[in-house]
Amino acid sequence: MDKTRYLSIAVVSVVLGIMLVVQFRSTVANENTGVTFDRAQELTVEMRQLEKERHALQLEIEDLSQKLNQANKGQSQGINALKSELEKIKLLAGTLAVKGPGVELLIDNLPQPERPGVDPNIFAVRDEDLLKVINELRTAGAEAISINENRIVATSEIRLAGSFINVNLTRVLPPFKIKAIGNPEILKSSLEVSGGLVEHLQDMGISVVIEKKEELIVPAYSGKQHFDYAKQS
Amino acid sequence: MWLGVWLAVLGLAVGAMIGLYVPVLLPMAYARYTSVAVLAALDSVFGGIKAGMEDKFDNKVFISGFFSNALLAAGLAFIGERLGIELYLAAVVAFGVRLFQNLAIIRRHLLKR
Repeated sequence: MDKTRYLSIAVVSVVLGIMLVVQFRSTVANENTGVTFDRAQELTVEMRQLEKERHALQLEIEDLSQKLNQANKGQSQGINALKSELEKIKLLAGTLAVKGPGVELLIDNLPQPERPGVDPNIFAVRDEDLLKVINELRTAGAEAISINENRIVATSEIRLAGSFINVNLTRVLPPFKIKAIGNPEILKSSLEVSGGLVEHLQDMGISVVIEKKEELIVPAYSGKQHFDYAKQS
Repeated sequence: MWLGVWLAVLGLAVGAMIGLYVPVLLPMAYARYTSVAVLAALDSVFGGIKAGMEDKFDNKVFISGFFSNALLAAGLAFIGERLGIELYLAAVVAFGVRLFQNLAIIRRHLLKR
């Protein structure tokens, strides 16, 4: 009887000791963690998920900003290239006013004595004369030419219309002031070569004065700037 | 009598050592039940001490009370959890009250001597 009593006391006390200590330790450990195991796991999973999401978004940001930069760069580069190309083409087409060294010709009719029965216009400057001058200037390397502030371009005509001369469908009247940008020396000498154009015109009773200029301004072509019939082939 | 006391102290020490070196940490979910079980066990022990002082100590009652009380308290807490009622509070209150009662009786017995 006594033995069983002591045995039971021992067993119970051992069990109680184990229970108490385990309980203490568990309680302390759980208080330390603060959150339950399940919750911690949940939060960990959520955090991983969010990390992944964040990473993906970060990558997207990088990608998109790179694309944006490229697009911007491309756009500005393209625009700049187009602008410079446009400027060049405008310059070549004659739709820009240009300045530079060159020559200025003043071509005028000399006063004719009254001759009865003779048409005074016979000694006047004719369209062919202007054409020849333009031709000569172009041959000598003129880069921009104008007659009385009418820019000569690829589509310009010089043509007699009645008793007047038309340039770019605009009537031009004497005195004719022709401006040409290029090497002044070459332009002048090619016109004044002996047996050349100036001599010929002077023989015809026309006054030609050539002036070299350090800087002259040739205006822009101001006519129509589109084609109705010609299309890109 | 004193042999029993010494045995009890020794048993507690041994149990504490075992508990310290057993690598078991109860998760929070079970800690609630075991806490109630520990309370019940403590109550049983003090009840046993009281009974011993009144010379009414019954071994069978002691052992069965110890284990059944602990298990019952834990089960009650578990069922309460399932039912959505914090039933373990009932166990806490009941055993707490009993604990104090038992302690008071033990104190009186000690004072009478």
